[in-house]
Formats: sequence, C-alpha cells, structure tokens
Amino acid sequence: MIVRQLAARQGRQFLALRRTPVASRFFSSEIPTPPPMEPVVDTPLPEAEPEKIIEEIVPVAPAEPGQASWKKEATHRHRFNRMGTSMKVAYNPDSLLQNPPKPSDITLELLLASQTHLGHSTSRWNPQNSRYIFGIREGVHIISLDVTAAYLRRAAKVVEEVAARGGLILFAGTRKGQKQSVVRAAELARGYHLFERWIPGSLTNGQQILGHCETKVVNALDEELPDFKADLADRPPLKPDLVVCLNPLENVVLLHECGLNNVPTIGIIDTDADPTRVTYPIPSNDDSLRATTLIAGILGRAGEAGQERRMAMAKEGKTTYEPITAQALRLDPFTGTAPGSEQAKKQN
Amino acid sequence: MGKYNFTALRVRQTALSQFASGKTSKLPQWVDVVSEIPPAETITRTRPFQHQLVRQRLKTVEGSSKPRVVFEVQEKRIKPKKASRLFQPVEIKYEEDQLRREFFRDHPWELARPRVLLESTGKDFENYDWSRIQQPGKRLDGESVVQRQLYLLNTVPNMTKSEAYDQARQEFYRLRLKEDIERRVAAEEAEATGATFGPRHLDMGMEGENQQFERWKKWAQQAAQIIEQRKAALSGAPEIMEEQAVPLEETEEEAPAAAA
Repeated sequence: MIVRQLAARQGRQFLALRRTPVASRFFSSEIPTPPPMEPVVDTPLPEAEPEKIIEEIVPVAPAEPGQASWKKEATHRHRFNRMGTSMKVAYNPDSLLQNPPKPSDITLELLLASQTHLGHSTSRWNPQNSRYIFGIREGVHIISLDVTAAYLRRAAKVVEEVAARGGLILFAGTRKGQKQSVVRAAELARGYHLFERWIPGSLTNGQQILGHCETKVVNALDEELPDFKADLADRPPLKPDLVVCLNPLENVVLLHECGLNNVPTIGIIDTDADPTRVTYPIPSNDDSLRATTLIAGILGRAGEAGQERRMAMAKEGKTTYEPITAQALRLDPFTGTAPGSEQAKKQN
Repeated sequence: MGKYNFTALRVRQTALSQFASGKTSKLPQWVDVVSEIPPAETITRTRPFQHQLVRQRLKTVEGSSKPRVVFEVQEKRIKPKKASRLFQPVEIKYEEDQLRREFFRDHPWELARPRVLLESTGKDFENYDWSRIQQPGKRLDGESVVQRQLYLLNTVPNMTKSEAYDQARQEFYRLRLKEDIERRVAAEEAEATGATFGPRHLDMGMEGENQQFERWKKWAQQAAQIIEQRKAALSGAPEIMEEQAVPLEETEEEAPAAAA
C-alpha cells in the first residue's frame, strides 16, 4: 500500500462524504405524509342510470330563480298580450270536416293539397289501375289529378241522384281515424255510417244479424208514421241502395256482399287496389286521412244537395220515386197477400 | 267467374234481368241513375303519359336586339322500349331535379332544417315570384335556391347553370347571414326587456357529461388505489396480499363441491 497517495486518493472521497446539508431544507415545512391508505376492494365502474341522470340534470336551473323567471314571464304576458301580430290565415285541419267543399268546388289544387295524388310504391301496383296513373316519382306512382277530379264528380253525381230518389246510402270507412269523416258525411247526406268492422253476413244473412234493429215508416217529408209499426215486424232488414267505401282493401267482404245483393258501390281506389270491386271507383290516395276526409266530405255534400232537392219536391207534393202504398205495406212480405187472408182461406 | 269479376260494374244489367225474370217485383230506385251515369270502363289499357324533360333557355341572336327563347328536349333513347313495358307508367322528370340534387349534395345540412310540407289551398305557387329569392309566406330554404336558379336559367339570356347557381347561392348566403344576425339581435332585445331563457340543450348535455365524468373520476381514483395496494403488497406488505388471497381460496373450495 502506498501511504503517500492515501490522503490524495481516499481523502477526496472522505470530503465528499461529509458534505454540508442543503440550507433550504431547514426553511421548508414538513412533508405532508399521506394518511395510511385504507385497503379498498376492487369494484367495477358503477352502471349509469339514465333516469337518475335526467333527475340530476333538471335542478341545473335552481327552482327559485326558475319560479321567479316564470312569474316575470307571466306578468309580461299579461301586460303585452294584446300587442304584436295575430295569425289571420292559418291552416285548420278540421275545416274539411266542419265545412266540406261542394262537388262544384273540386279543383286540382285542392286535390293536390289534400294529397290525393300519392299512390303506392311502384312494386305494389295493380296494373288494372294503369289508366289512372300519371307517372312515377321517387319510386311512387302518382295518380292523375284530373282523372281523380272527373271520377269524384261522377261519384258525387251518383250520390246526389240516389239521395234525391230517397235511397239509403251507407258510408263505410273502417280505418283508424276515418270515424269522424264517415259520421260527418252520413250526417250531411242523411245516410248511415259504418266505422267499425263490417260484420260479414250483414247483407247476406241480415235476418240473423240485423233482425233486431229498429225500422220505421216515414212519409215523403221524412215524418215518422207510427201506425205502420206493427206491419214491419216480419219484414226483412233493409238493404242500402248505395254503399260508399273509403277503404275497399279492408272491406272486401262488404263489397262482395254488395255484389251478391246487387247494390251499387263507390270506393276509393289506390294504386294497389282492384278497381273492378266497385261500381264507381275514385282513383285516389286512401292512406291519407286528409284525402279520405275530403272525398267523404264532397260525397256528403252531394248527398245533402240531393236530400234538399227531394224535400223541396216533397213540399210541393211530388216525389222522384214511386212511393210505396199503405196497402202494399200491409201485405204479407212472404206471400204477398193481405194479413188474415191465409186464415180465411183455411177456414173456407 | 274467370279472371275478372264484373259483378259490381254490371249492377244495372243484373237488376234489369232479375226484374224481367220475376225474381224482384220492383226495380230498385237507382236503376235509372246508373243508366244515366254509367260506370267508367276500368281495365282497358291506355298509353300512359309520356313525360319528357324540356329545358327553356334565352339565347341572344346576332343581328337582333331581342333574345330568342329556345326549348331543348331531352334526346330520345336509341334503344326502343320493350313491348311489355309499353303500358307501364313513365318516370316524371323536371329540370329542377338535377338542380336540387346538386344543391343538396353541396349543402347536406340544409336537409336537417325543418320544412313545412302542408298547404291549405294548394295555390301557394300563385304568390311566388322568383325574380327575387325571398317569397311571402315561404321560409328561405334550399328549394328557394333551386327555384331561383331555374328562374334565372329560363329568363336571363345566355345564362349557364353554374352562373345561375352561384348567383342564387350568393343571394341565399347573404339572407341566411342576415337571418342569423336578426335572431341574435332579437334574443338580445328580449333579454334586455326581461326575457329569461332556460339552460340550452347544449348546456344540459354538457352538464350531464360533467356529472358522468365526476362519477368516473371517483371510480378511477379507487381503481388506482387498488393497483397501488397490489404493488405495495408484492414489494413487502404480506398482510394485504393475504387479505386478498382469502376469497380466492374460498372459490377453489367451492368448485369441487359444485362439480360433485
């Protein structure tokens, strides 16, 4: 070991060991030691509850300021309510129901605005309707508006004439939402309405299904004649003289029974319906309530005009039809003889 | 019955023959009505409407001061139509279709704006004059641009499609900017006169997001602490390790019991 170099070599290391501590250490505060950690059990991320979040979001606007602002708004409304603009011409969806147009008011614009031109997808068409179709637009058949107008006028004329001859008119629309329009049309035309399911057999098996229904005898002025009540006891139920069907697709049975009983029919024929099922087709959209309401309203108005004509003639003592005589009413409906004559024959 | 059922169309003939044969004693009231107003023929096929695209343009002619109206008809297809498609309806085409497609391709968010499709009379077009882009009773939208562009193409001499598009578009952008400013000013005015608007949808969404984040932060702190604990256990805190090992042993004991 070389002693001479000991101090030179190890002395440096020795000095380095005994370095003075940093002065700043004395001025700093004590290191904050974290509290002993509590052992926690591994838990999954709690599931978000959407209902709760909404509840939590709502109080973002605190209840009291909200109330205050509401009060403020209410006072403002009260103060300035009469100021500002007012809507004069606004679309009223019920106007077609309350005040339906007359057949003379049919215009192509009205039909267009009522969406009668929209047919079905081209793949669902019935080729028998090709003559009513104007063209294809965005994969949908467009029904020709002038054809719709012409056929609608023709159907309205039929309804008017049948009403003027005192015929019974049945309006049937069994789709959801057609109830009001069907009832309104029947009310105008003084006809009958059907807005629920057509009970199959109501025409072909009417004695069983409608036998208990009430009938009455009226004079030319539509006043009831109660004297004939007893004569109606074993008469078959009445059959309509005209059936207006707003949705022939769902009422195939009704139309079939009308065919069997030889009753003329009017129906709204969409591009997927069969036009030969009805006597007077009206090519139009049958899925739009606005379109069916318009058509029912126009036909109702036509019936109203016919009824008015009939009543005006009745007041003058004339009828457009051959009235049934009291004697014919009294005859037995099955044998065509006077009541009691059968017994008289037997006694003889 | 055959392919077709004409019962409904032949109600009058049936009624007459029933009366003639004595099945019914009286003719129904509607017989003369149906004879006066006969049902239309239904299933005869007619040639459908042949729609053709017609373009109207104004072109200046050399030597005359008045521009000339030129109608261009879309060229007919060279391939003849199949005989089976002769009676099928034809696609309806308008010049606007192309313009509309281009506008909405360039401005897809215009389709997200609410639009009024309802018309009470169907005669709204009578009030429109496309010599200017704004119309009374019609909200400014993509359709306005399309109609204005078509008007320019039809009435301005030597107008090209892109020029008309640019002009209509610029008018549209200017009005949209104006609308934005009007809306902002209206809101400011309303606030100045005492209106209070509640939190907006965006604010409510941000609030929900913040709450969700806070919830996650709490969970994340806990999870981080667990990881720390595990590390600590590995490096020399055996009691924590033992605590965590207990449930593991239990499951091992249960497993054979379940198998048995």
